[in-house]
Amino acid sequence: MYEKFLEDIAQANGLREVNTYVKLMAGLGAIILCLLSTSFIAPLFIAILLTGAIILLAQVDMRTYAELFIVPFWFAAMSVIVIILLSGGSEVYWSWTPFSWLSISISVESLNEGIFVFCRVIGGMAALIFIALTTPMTDLFIVMRRCRVPEVVLDLVMMIYRAIFMIMHLLVLTYQAQVMRLGYSSFRESIESFATLCGSVFIASWDAGEDLVRAMDARCYAGKFAMFGETGPVNSYSLVAVGLFLLTSSVIVVITRDIVVI
Amino acid sequence: MSRIILEAREIRYRYPRGMEAIQGISFHIRKGEKIALVGPNGAGKSTLMLMFNGMIRPDSGAILFDNVPVSYDKGSLRKLRKRVGFVLQNPDRQIIAPTVYQDVAFGPVNLGYSESEIKTAVTEALRYVGLEGFERRPPHLLSGGEKKRVAIAGVLAMDPDLLVFDEPTSGLDPSGSEDIMELLDELNLQGKTIIISTHDIELAYPWADRAILLLEGKILQEAIPDVAFGRPEYVRQAHLSMPILLDIYFELKKRGYMLPERKPRTVLDMLQVIDVAFEKTPCCHAFPGTISVFDVDSSPHDSLPGWLASHPDSSIGAMGTRAKQHAADTQITLDFTYGVIDKCILRAIIGESSLILTSTGMVRRVEQRVLEFDTISGISVPVRLIGP
Repeated sequence: MYEKFLEDIAQANGLREVNTYVKLMAGLGAIILCLLSTSFIAPLFIAILLTGAIILLAQVDMRTYAELFIVPFWFAAMSVIVIILLSGGSEVYWSWTPFSWLSISISVESLNEGIFVFCRVIGGMAALIFIALTTPMTDLFIVMRRCRVPEVVLDLVMMIYRAIFMIMHLLVLTYQAQVMRLGYSSFRESIESFATLCGSVFIASWDAGEDLVRAMDARCYAGKFAMFGETGPVNSYSLVAVGLFLLTSSVIVVITRDIVVI
Repeated sequence: MSRIILEAREIRYRYPRGMEAIQGISFHIRKGEKIALVGPNGAGKSTLMLMFNGMIRPDSGAILFDNVPVSYDKGSLRKLRKRVGFVLQNPDRQIIAPTVYQDVAFGPVNLGYSESEIKTAVTEALRYVGLEGFERRPPHLLSGGEKKRVAIAGVLAMDPDLLVFDEPTSGLDPSGSEDIMELLDELNLQGKTIIISTHDIELAYPWADRAILLLEGKILQEAIPDVAFGRPEYVRQAHLSMPILLDIYFELKKRGYMLPERKPRTVLDMLQVIDVAFEKTPCCHAFPGTISVFDVDSSPHDSLPGWLASHPDSSIGAMGTRAKQHAADTQITLDFTYGVIDKCILRAIIGESSLILTSTGMVRRVEQRVLEFDTISGISVPVRLIGP
């Protein structure tokens, strides 16, 4: 309930001042390269490098990063086990027959395939987390505007963004008030408290919404939502670093295209 | 006397299916005045204030802005709201956009300013409230005082003539409240008319030009602060407490001391009252200390370190956001940040010198206040401007 939002980490990260486009180029480029690669080496390289960038350059706390990574990591690991065991191949790498009617075998192809998929997933994840942790939403709004996202959608997105934090704040306040008065002490009590929490937060956010309209009216709202602000200037150093990263990754994608684990 | 900017004529308002919140109120406010609207909870302060920018339309009676009755069609309301800035009590309810820059730009964008005009207006407003460098921050990561400043900047960016603040100091720490009150003073010096509603008598008493006491939707009293807050029966009725300085003044008077007619509004005034009461000579020192004034806008900045080095014992005060910013930038430790002129005069009386950092508009204010003191006390405190 009192967790820090990803957004808050992104607002304070070490790469905050780097131009948004440069950061997006690094992240999106990495994802595309992960998809293009036919070997496990390039995605692995990308994952390691971006993890390094997140921890060393963006100065995100290692624990936070690990917590973020662990969920997709396990998900990928379990899917990959299934892929390894189920997909077929001609060359048997390992097999085990515990009973006469059951035999488990892993082929070289399935093993290669599994490791490749796994590396791709963590490469892509690292790139996504890199974007999430270094580029706050507020900077993405500016990019969205440049990409000609319709005004109506943008206005909505921005109001929703503001409302999320407002409602979250209301939620925390109400929840704390309930806990202070022993609201969640028993199972029955928890269900009741949760119901009142939902109800009162709904009403409070409705109120806040009406206030918002009034606040906008009081400031001469005429259908326009302020949409300005700039991202940091393109710094040649960061541009060269990202260019180098993407170039190296591309080269690795090309030269390692036929390399397999076994 | 300056012209009337806002007038209420016998206004009444009843909430739908509710009680009558405003029961026939008339008053007028002149341009450049500082008005404190005081009263207990539920007296109708907020309702009344929401009428000033047309958010609530009175059932009967009329509100006049600039001697023209407010009309409630969309176009006129927009014009009115550009000129009457409203700062809500809870800044969270006023801040709309996801970043500080976008929020402050909200008004100007909707008024149809050009991009460069918006930029100037926003930068200027943020500079004014001392939030330079906060442009890209999201509001939910700001402190209460900072949010309040964002809300104020959002209103200032539209350059209104009349500023209405609902409880400007609620939820702020004492130093934050003092900063806000000083910001209001600064705005007032720039010619803006300011109306605040508050429970904080101690802040309103020295600040306001006039106080309006509201009770149960009616005006109980409308007068200069020492009269408005100086009647124990009214103060009790309005669920307020008497300002401590007035309280002491009246207690001294009850004990039969001969006191000057002018009631004390600041500690400096109080000391003068005490000096008169106990027939002491006001000045302990034959030579009062000098008050030096440094104008952070126009005096050359390199002249200050030399002055500080040669006057190590001086107390230093800063008036206004820019002066405080300057002090923070140049790592000057401030002794006073609120009621600076009076504090410096108090130092001067006991023979100590002091320095006031301030902006161009406020220099005149220092001279005025010192002159006012000089005429009343008969002491002449020298004021010097550092630099050319």
